[in-house]
Amino acid sequence: MVVLDEPVKGVMEVRNYIDGEWVGSGSDEYREIVNPATMKPLAKVPMGCTEDVEAAVDAAQEAFPAWRRTTPLTRARHFFRLKELLEEHFETVSRVCTMEHGKTIDESRGEVRRGIENVEVATGIPSLMMGYNLEDISTGIDEAVVKQPLGVFACIAPFNFPFMVPLWFMPIAVATGNTYVIKPSPWTPLSMVKLMELVDEAGFPPGVINMVHGDAEPVQAILEHPSVKGVSFVGSSKIGRDVVYKEAASRGKRVQAQCSAKNFLVVMPDADVESTVPGLLSSFFGNAGQRCLAGANLVMVGDDRKFIDGFLAKMQKATQGIRIGYGLEEGIQMGPMQAVPRKQRVLGYIEKGVEEGAKLVLDGRKYDSGAYPRDCFLGPSIFHGVQPNMTIAKEEIFGPVMSVLHAGDLGDAIEMVNASNYGNAASIFTGSGKAARRFQYEVECGNVGINIGTVAPMAFFPFSGMKDSFFGDLHGQGRDAVDFFTERKVVIQRWP
Amino acid sequence: MIRTTGQLIALHGQLEDRLAEALRSLARLHPEAAGALNKLADESVQHRDTILKVYREGVTDAFEVGYLSRPMDEDEYKVAEPKGSLGEALRTALLNEDTVIRFCRDAAEDSNQLIPGLPQTFLRLAKRKEKRKAVLESLA
Repeated sequence: MVVLDEPVKGVMEVRNYIDGEWVGSGSDEYREIVNPATMKPLAKVPMGCTEDVEAAVDAAQEAFPAWRRTTPLTRARHFFRLKELLEEHFETVSRVCTMEHGKTIDESRGEVRRGIENVEVATGIPSLMMGYNLEDISTGIDEAVVKQPLGVFACIAPFNFPFMVPLWFMPIAVATGNTYVIKPSPWTPLSMVKLMELVDEAGFPPGVINMVHGDAEPVQAILEHPSVKGVSFVGSSKIGRDVVYKEAASRGKRVQAQCSAKNFLVVMPDADVESTVPGLLSSFFGNAGQRCLAGANLVMVGDDRKFIDGFLAKMQKATQGIRIGYGLEEGIQMGPMQAVPRKQRVLGYIEKGVEEGAKLVLDGRKYDSGAYPRDCFLGPSIFHGVQPNMTIAKEEIFGPVMSVLHAGDLGDAIEMVNASNYGNAASIFTGSGKAARRFQYEVECGNVGINIGTVAPMAFFPFSGMKDSFFGDLHGQGRDAVDFFTERKVVIQRWP
Repeated sequence: MIRTTGQLIALHGQLEDRLAEALRSLARLHPEAAGALNKLADESVQHRDTILKVYREGVTDAFEVGYLSRPMDEDEYKVAEPKGSLGEALRTALLNEDTVIRFCRDAAEDSNQLIPGLPQTFLRLAKRKEKRKAVLESLA
């Protein structure tokens, strides 16, 4: 199998992008970024410091008045240019994403495409940002709502979608007239470096879009900085709730914190087996299970043993056939975990599942990575006989592990889904419209799939989420995003 | 075996490139037919780019792009170098066209639920390639 050409040569020294310049960090602490498939070093990224954030926010604050006065049409044109550049560099960016994250090239291309879709939506800002009005609310008095930008916004991005997630937020924030600071994950900063190179080439004015690398210290600095009007975060519920939401909201900032998940996929006895199996494979094992929309618990409904056993046997066979390897080989269907600690975490959950009495029918620990180092590689695992109170059924594993549970009927399955602390996504596979409607109506989840395994909303719809999967009120993407990044000002006027 | 959409697109690109290369080398050997053959070669490159564009515009992390419903065997689709007299070489070129038409039809069927527009584009290319056969036959 041929490995595609690797766009990252040698070891990059990653720099911040502030006020239109590539600048070094004030921190002298660095992390080595390695390709998780080959374990070869790719880059050195600074861990960042408060001074870096202050410089970036100051630049963004300074750029805000002029950018706010730039017409929406002109702001949109910057995004048209960025879109053209992203198309031109589509393959390079996709390969960088695979190199730093480990996901397959198909998955990276899909991620880059969905990032570009958010840029495309931002080009429609002259229409999206319109307010509304009504004449003669009283004699000779008119009332209108105008949407105005607020100032500096920031995004704290996760490792699992290093390119797409910052683009859920930045394009709408900036197109509505705000200025921006991106803090990429310190594990996967290179996709954002590529994006900022293109932002620079697209000719955005200095200070409008900035990037600061690092870990906890810059996060805290963003949350505390008085000029930052709002923060978008994607990551764990613990950090999202206890750090980002609390710290930012207590300072009067807007917050949208998209967090952990435990997603249930419910299979009814009338599900179409042929189309359901590939959907489930993609859902459970796509991105090596490292996604907040990944399938985690497979709930088989009913007591038709023949159907259930046949379905699970097919599922297992298909899972065993998944080709694992370096994502830059075109035929690979699952890459490694993004880093060693993530694999260790998943291994801990597999051990826990065995300890608690679930039956491990497919053991991903036995996967042999062949020519590649074993460090981050892990095969897919399947547990049967999982009970709802087991740890593996309740906690987010964030890896390629499927837990199979059983429910007597649809009502029991919905109860199981709703008992979870999380409410990110749930899917039902069925041939019955009645069952699908009931599921959609009753299930307490932000993103619901009907015969779809991975419920990833398009850029013009909000990426929803409920319960411990989301903290805030307005979600990323779609009209929610326009409202999050703008103030609705009401104007009532009379001209005597 | 071809199991992913990326692999499918890559193999299609290789087949079109080989087709174009074979037609160009045939054009060099038989200048009397060079105009038509080079035009067909250019068209193959366009076909490669058309599919690549549809793939890149439609690929997403949301659906099952990583999993073809039925894996395809790449060994079933080989493009040969046309050799010998013009007549012999054109016969090989016609067989090559048949191979790529078969690939496009199989790809349309196997990529049916993956990416919007991809199966239809493969089918459209298969139809266009049928017309190319008439051009090759007319050169004999």
